[in-house]
Amino acid sequence: MLEQFAAWLGKTPLSAFVADQGWAVPAIQTIHILAISVLMGSVAIVNLRILGLVERNQSIRALAVRFVPPSVVAIAVLALTGFLLIASEPNRAIFRYVFWAKMSLLLIVVGLTGRLLAGLRRAGVYDQAQARAPIGLRMVSVISLLVWLGVIVTGRWIGYSEGWPGSPS
Amino acid sequence: MDISSLINALQATPLSEAIRESDWLFPAIESAHVIAIVLVVGSITVVDLRLVGVASRNRSAEELITELLPITWTAFAVAVIAGSLLVIGKPQTYSQSPVFLSKMGLILLAGLNMVVFHRFVQPRLRHAPLGAAPPVAARASGLVSLALWIGVVALGRLIGFTTN
Repeated sequence: MLEQFAAWLGKTPLSAFVADQGWAVPAIQTIHILAISVLMGSVAIVNLRILGLVERNQSIRALAVRFVPPSVVAIAVLALTGFLLIASEPNRAIFRYVFWAKMSLLLIVVGLTGRLLAGLRRAGVYDQAQARAPIGLRMVSVISLLVWLGVIVTGRWIGYSEGWPGSPS
Repeated sequence: MDISSLINALQATPLSEAIRESDWLFPAIESAHVIAIVLVVGSITVVDLRLVGVASRNRSAEELITELLPITWTAFAVAVIAGSLLVIGKPQTYSQSPVFLSKMGLILLAGLNMVVFHRFVQPRLRHAPLGAAPPVAARASGLVSLALWIGVVALGRLIGFTTN
């Protein structure tokens, strides 16, 4: 089924358009990296606040209000540009283990972020400036930062890896 | 010793050879470089958008700069170290790449823009009331910085397409 999807995607006019323009792939990758910058900058600042390292005189809620909206826009841009990059050469992503590792890490970090924000609210440290998150939640914050780094590393590695045995190339 | 023999000598070092020959070393260093770059650009963007007046308007620019600059500088140091290792791997290739040299030029311009900002613009922000529209000079600093860093990312990505 995955092979049929990749074959179909590779035959769409969208795929041909992205693949045929010499400038399209580097341009889309540049937009992808700029969106990662917006997302990772936001993720880093909010998590460093949860860890009590920056913006301590702001509540975590105040930081979320400032940084969640640009993160949501960045995620939409990442999904769109990521899809265009896959469409240009489906076999270069879909049959590589590291691509699925990246997608799995993304799912994990979304789950971790949800738990983290819910936990901060329950612990009563979400709304006050200067409030310190309990050690357990700070651990979750560190783990989610590390998982985000894993998303970037596996993302970079897609281009260097090879398809799994027997996959179309 | 002229510059080209220096580059050749660098290319012949064991470190250069190790980075060039290894299957995983180059992508590993590149991953560290990307992580550092996105944190540099991400944190600078927050400050630039504040200077332009479109984000974090209820925070003083001064405080925001003090809070975020350590992130920017730490990440920039990692980006320079990782980037230097990438160059050490292929010094002959990069020293002849117009895209690479243009990227270095844009980074210099971004540094110059930052010096001008700290020297001439930032002192005027110190007494600016919260919520007031930023002075034109601050907006210009922010816009120039955003444009230069977008250029740095674009040229950086283009290096991989124009060298091998």
